[in-house]
Amino acid sequence: MALEYLGDTLRLMVLAGLGIAGVLAILIWLRNKTRKVTYLRFVVGAVSVAAIFYMFTFTQIWMLLVVAVILLMTIPLGRFFCGWLCPFGFYMDLISQLRKATRVRYRLLPVKFNGALNRLRYAILVFFLVLPFALGPIADFQYQFIYFLAGPFKPWSILLGPLEPLIVPWTSSVTLSGIYFSWPYLTPVSFYSGTDYTGIAELVTANIIIFVAITVVASFFIRRFWCRFCPTGSSLAIKFRGKSSAVLHLSKDEEKCTKCGICKRVCPQQVQEIYDQKGGKITTSMCILCLRCVEMCPYEDTLKVKLGGKAVFRSRNWLQPSQSE
Amino acid sequence: MATAGIDLGTQTVKVVVLRNGEVAGRAKVFSGFDPVKSAEEAMAIALKEAKLTREDLKHVTATGSGMDQAPLKDSTISMMGADAKAGVRLFPKAHTIIDIGAEEARAVKCDDKGIMIDFVVNERCAAGAGAFIEAMARALELKIEDMGPLSLKAERASTINASCVIFGESDVVTLIHRQESKPEIARAVFDAMADRVSSMVRRLGINPDVVLIGGVAKDVGFVASLKRKLGVDLSIPDNPEFAGAFGAAVVAAGRAKEA
Amino acid sequence: MKEPKNTQERKYVAELPQKELEDLRNSAKAVSDRVITENIERMKKTSANRPEAMKYFDDFATFALRETELKDAKAKGRKVIGYFCMFAPIELIIAADAIPVRVNSGWYDTSKIGDRIVPVEVCPVIRSTIGAKMIGLSPFLELSDALISVLTCDGMTKLSEVMSDYMPVIAMPLPRVKDSPHSLEFWREEITSVKKQIEELTGNKITTKKLRTAIELVQKATKAFRRLQDLRKGAPVIMGRDAMLVNQVFLWDDVARWTEKTEALCDELEQHVKEKKWVCPPDTPRVMVTGTPMFWPDNWKLPSLVEEASPRGVIVADELCSGERLLYDPVGVDEWTSDDMYRAMSERYLMASTCPCFTSKDGNEDRINWLLNKVKEWNVQGVIYYVVRGCMLYAMEYTRVKRVLDKLNIPTYYLDTEYTREDVGQMKTRVEAFLEMLSARVDI
Repeated sequence: MALEYLGDTLRLMVLAGLGIAGVLAILIWLRNKTRKVTYLRFVVGAVSVAAIFYMFTFTQIWMLLVVAVILLMTIPLGRFFCGWLCPFGFYMDLISQLRKATRVRYRLLPVKFNGALNRLRYAILVFFLVLPFALGPIADFQYQFIYFLAGPFKPWSILLGPLEPLIVPWTSSVTLSGIYFSWPYLTPVSFYSGTDYTGIAELVTANIIIFVAITVVASFFIRRFWCRFCPTGSSLAIKFRGKSSAVLHLSKDEEKCTKCGICKRVCPQQVQEIYDQKGGKITTSMCILCLRCVEMCPYEDTLKVKLGGKAVFRSRNWLQPSQSE
Repeated sequence: MATAGIDLGTQTVKVVVLRNGEVAGRAKVFSGFDPVKSAEEAMAIALKEAKLTREDLKHVTATGSGMDQAPLKDSTISMMGADAKAGVRLFPKAHTIIDIGAEEARAVKCDDKGIMIDFVVNERCAAGAGAFIEAMARALELKIEDMGPLSLKAERASTINASCVIFGESDVVTLIHRQESKPEIARAVFDAMADRVSSMVRRLGINPDVVLIGGVAKDVGFVASLKRKLGVDLSIPDNPEFAGAFGAAVVAAGRAKEA
Repeated sequence: MKEPKNTQERKYVAELPQKELEDLRNSAKAVSDRVITENIERMKKTSANRPEAMKYFDDFATFALRETELKDAKAKGRKVIGYFCMFAPIELIIAADAIPVRVNSGWYDTSKIGDRIVPVEVCPVIRSTIGAKMIGLSPFLELSDALISVLTCDGMTKLSEVMSDYMPVIAMPLPRVKDSPHSLEFWREEITSVKKQIEELTGNKITTKKLRTAIELVQKATKAFRRLQDLRKGAPVIMGRDAMLVNQVFLWDDVARWTEKTEALCDELEQHVKEKKWVCPPDTPRVMVTGTPMFWPDNWKLPSLVEEASPRGVIVADELCSGERLLYDPVGVDEWTSDDMYRAMSERYLMASTCPCFTSKDGNEDRINWLLNKVKEWNVQGVIYYVVRGCMLYAMEYTRVKRVLDKLNIPTYYLDTEYTREDVGQMKTRVEAFLEMLSARVDI
């Protein structure tokens, strides 16, 4: 049974990947030098969305495993999951593309506010981890472990928020001609405003509509806005925040950097360290490794992405077709 | 092997003929209106002293401000380069070489191998050069060669405020009218000049041994003042005014070997 | 924007008598033509394998050809906007369908005329520009409808006043500290204000589409520019003076055509690299010049000395705002919305600059890093620190630059000079001694 599912997943992943890659290969062929990694990231993101959709058809044990894998991935790879594999991130990127197509300019958050949000998410994470224990039947202590792994009060369900697919293989609050729809975080949103507590079905619907509206509108104007305080992101960031041990990280050559500021401007997360840090390994818990900065830096070998000390992608003089291509 | 060096300076032309590393002949002629002719004259005198002809010279290198016009030459070398070569050849441990000419003073820094690694030239001003002494000697109504010994008699120096040749002259006249003693004025002149030179050398760094060459090195008054201002001993060769031409001749010997 | 006054109300410049003005202009023009021809002759003589594509730049080195083109353009109603400094946003000028042209004077003789208005201690570039305007020597100054003057240093601040006696001047104040948060905001607002003033002057609206076209045009020029400089990294395939002339011609040439011709030159140079056709022996000492700008034609004094001395050197790189700093940095546009384009433009002009008029908590570190990178990648063996007397900013940074280069064991020589031909002899001595020093090191 498990193997069947695995087989199905893999087959669909390959199909989805090939399909989207085909379309994007045409775009890449146009040789837009400053968007290549971004297109690649979209391909990988799309494949990831497809894969995660199929993972949601498994039992919850699998999802716990997925969460564990995501968290463990941070140790060597930093917030790579956020930039490349997260479905919510993918949806936000698509909404940004819509904004670009309609020629609307993005809005910036004040730097101090951005930093405050960054710190706030640890509070949010702790709050949502503790909340189920507070709301659940504390008296039934012996059931706590079961609650941890199954049932509606799973504390770690908040961590699954961004992975929720748009079409879900279970009953959800939003249906249309038999198909159940969802949106990242709708499971906790509808659960906590659910009939068990308030007894008002309309409240659930209202909260869902409000939540979806806010997230869609906010990510229209502010790039990757959820990532700045995402609780899942913060669990990843906790590891990354100190002296980074990440094997995959950004690095800057102090002498080649002209402090032109392009990297800081194109960063969807408004990371300041990429500009403020003089050189060497860039340590920041905000960076989702989307690599826009490396793509857009116009000086050779100034910004690099390093995997295990070896540079896998470097900044290039994008005015010039490079010899290595 | 015989080579020669020609130093075409603003006031005088000096020629040194070198044979197998030793000075075989030297000559000095005033440049005058026709420096090329003066150079040819000097070469003739030096060759006569060395008992050689032009054809015997394997290589001739010219230096000095007029080096491009020098006749009879095979190559040129900058004055700094010639000074460096001369200084190190005459004093193997030389690291700083100071050359005071008629109108320009320069200093060269060498490394342990005797290779020039930095240099400094006095900027557009003759107050650190021989012309200053000439002008002051005129104002004091002394012969240039008498100024040095006279200044050594002084215990202290008068005050000359101006560091410019022109204004310095009027300063000196004022001092004479005030009945200050000539030895003290003379010493002040040398102190002022040594001041200029030493601040120039300090930009380079004072690394012993410090060598002093150029015509002014013969002046005992200036040498005493410079020793005081720099705070180090100075190594001065015999015939210091020929050091430039000597350096050029040494360079010529090196180039003749390479050819 | 300051409007020009009639003669009685002028602040600085009294009118010169017509006869004197014409005499001065004619003699200065004769000297200028002679110097230009001589420079080109010397460049041709000292360069083996000189690329054919240089012919275009030799032709445009005399200002006459471009002067005719500007006159024709003006007759058709286009405006010409002159600028003094690299900070002026030429993309905005091009987007308004006007023609940008840099009007700093490179003539020695006119600095003596400028001495009548301002003291000799003032920067000679500024004195010379004032003099050039007084006698009408520069065709570009004469044809400019307005000037953009960025107030980078004291001299430039007052120059804009002097020039306002003649024509409208758009003055742009510049924040001296780049990295404070409000500096960039301030500069962005300046750019927005200049945009409005240019629109007013030309009568053309700068739309998003036109600005995009202008930015892409200058990006193409940047690409050609960097391609040329990259070709100087290896063995000498183009003499320093030739490359410097190509860079300078950009200051007054039509951007699209300049780009095309420079790309053609680079194609030819790449061919020469394959065939190993060097312009001088590959072991010629490699020199870099850094410091105050050197404008064509008279300021070829130093480069000519370096490349014709014995032993000779070759200038492989420079850090001059009349040279390699001109187009080094591209405008990095992310999304081509109006907001992003203006943001990108302001950043490119303010943040990437290495001008010593800036300071920060680490001093003008950007310049130090730029120099270090250049020295390493272009294999520079010696640096000539060139300062025209009167420039406090460059003169004061010398000590810092020297210490940094001393650590790398790169000899640095401080060479100061003036807008005069009198010190060629003295300069020659120093340059030759410096090059001798470099060759001796090469031999080791």
